[in-house]
Amino acid sequence: MKYLFLGLSAFLAIVAQMIAGNNFFLFNFLDMALILVAYWAVYRSRMQALFVGSLTGLLLDAAIGWPLGYNGFGKTLAAFAIGQCWKRFNTADQLWVRFSIIAASSCLSSLSMFVLFLLLERSSSKIYLGASLLQALVTAAVAVIIFAGLENYKRTQTNKAH
Amino acid sequence: MSSELSSRVNKERAVLLMIPLLILHLVLLSLQIETPSGTYLLKTWTLAVQAPIIAVSSGITRKIRTVWSRYFWMVGARAENERLLETVRRLSIVNSSYEQVRQENARLHRLLAIGESIPYTTIGAHVVARTPSFLSNVIYIDRGSKDGIHVDAPVISGDGVVGRTVLLSRRQSQVQLITNPDASMGVMLERTRVPGVLRGSGDFLLNLNYIGNSEQVENGDVVLSSGLDGIYPKGLAIGKVVESSKGNGVFRSIKVQPFVDLMRIEEISILLGPAPQGPMQQR
Repeated sequence: MKYLFLGLSAFLAIVAQMIAGNNFFLFNFLDMALILVAYWAVYRSRMQALFVGSLTGLLLDAAIGWPLGYNGFGKTLAAFAIGQCWKRFNTADQLWVRFSIIAASSCLSSLSMFVLFLLLERSSSKIYLGASLLQALVTAAVAVIIFAGLENYKRTQTNKAH
Repeated sequence: MSSELSSRVNKERAVLLMIPLLILHLVLLSLQIETPSGTYLLKTWTLAVQAPIIAVSSGITRKIRTVWSRYFWMVGARAENERLLETVRRLSIVNSSYEQVRQENARLHRLLAIGESIPYTTIGAHVVARTPSFLSNVIYIDRGSKDGIHVDAPVISGDGVVGRTVLLSRRQSQVQLITNPDASMGVMLERTRVPGVLRGSGDFLLNLNYIGNSEQVENGDVVLSSGLDGIYPKGLAIGKVVESSKGNGVFRSIKVQPFVDLMRIEEISILLGPAPQGPMQQR
């Protein structure tokens, strides 16, 4: 059941992004798949987050018509980076640390795909790196807001229970 | 302390899980993406990784052999011998092409009085490695894409056709021998000009297919490339018929022995394409 939910959530994140990006320009710079991966790495299991990254990346590749593996590679790396950095650094109530980790992981994912493009002789857009940087900043900002909201909600629920 | 240990164990587990996932994605990509020449990237990467290892080991063994032969044998005689062997090899190829041109010219003159020449540029190479013959009948040579070689470039020696290039890295190429089970080429019998298809069998002999039972084929008949496969130029010597019998179906069962001793070959030439002028231009 858990894995079904994992697959479904990955699929829905991608579909949501495609729909939102089609209607709101800013959503083109929002990597919801990465937010899902970050959520799994932070709030669930870092090991499972690697699989989430792989699966989400593969689905993303399939959705955008790329050869399967580009985004899977990048998102797996990002999942690993987020999982490791979140434990290593003090992220409790340190919004700028969280922002930096997620932005850096997004950049790592984009950069790894760019390197794969070069190695596999695939042409990429001239603005790919610049757009990826912007995407990293937007994604990190949204992720930090979402995680802060989630934690506030959990705290409220916990206080109510007590 | 125990939480530190647990954290380190978790990190190691994460790394151990991440690496196979990354490799899986790379393999997945390489299975989908072909180079412009139509070969899968996984094969090209494998060749690129093994090329320096083969080059180094081949260089070392060649150096040892050279030291032994150069310092313990007559230096001048060896150099002269090599020079003469190279000249003979080149002249054999030239002679073979001239002979085919002459025969074809004579034949066409009888019919249409038209002449033709077969000019092509070649580049020499050494065989640096080979797979065991029962596996894949493949050799590796010390020329690659930086030397102007392309995939499906014909590879020949002074005695005849050796095979074609199938995989390239910058400095090495993989050559599929004509005895390879996956190899096939368009050929014809020199005497009767009957076309057929020559296939490797993984064995030392080749199978000549699609020659009808009614055709006259004798032991000793020379087999040449027909040029119809678009890879090998017309008129290159391949081998001679050693067995010929009527088949159960429509076609004869014919075995061809290559002219080239593929187990002992050490130097080869690669045909790069039509020369701008003159019959044979060596690079």
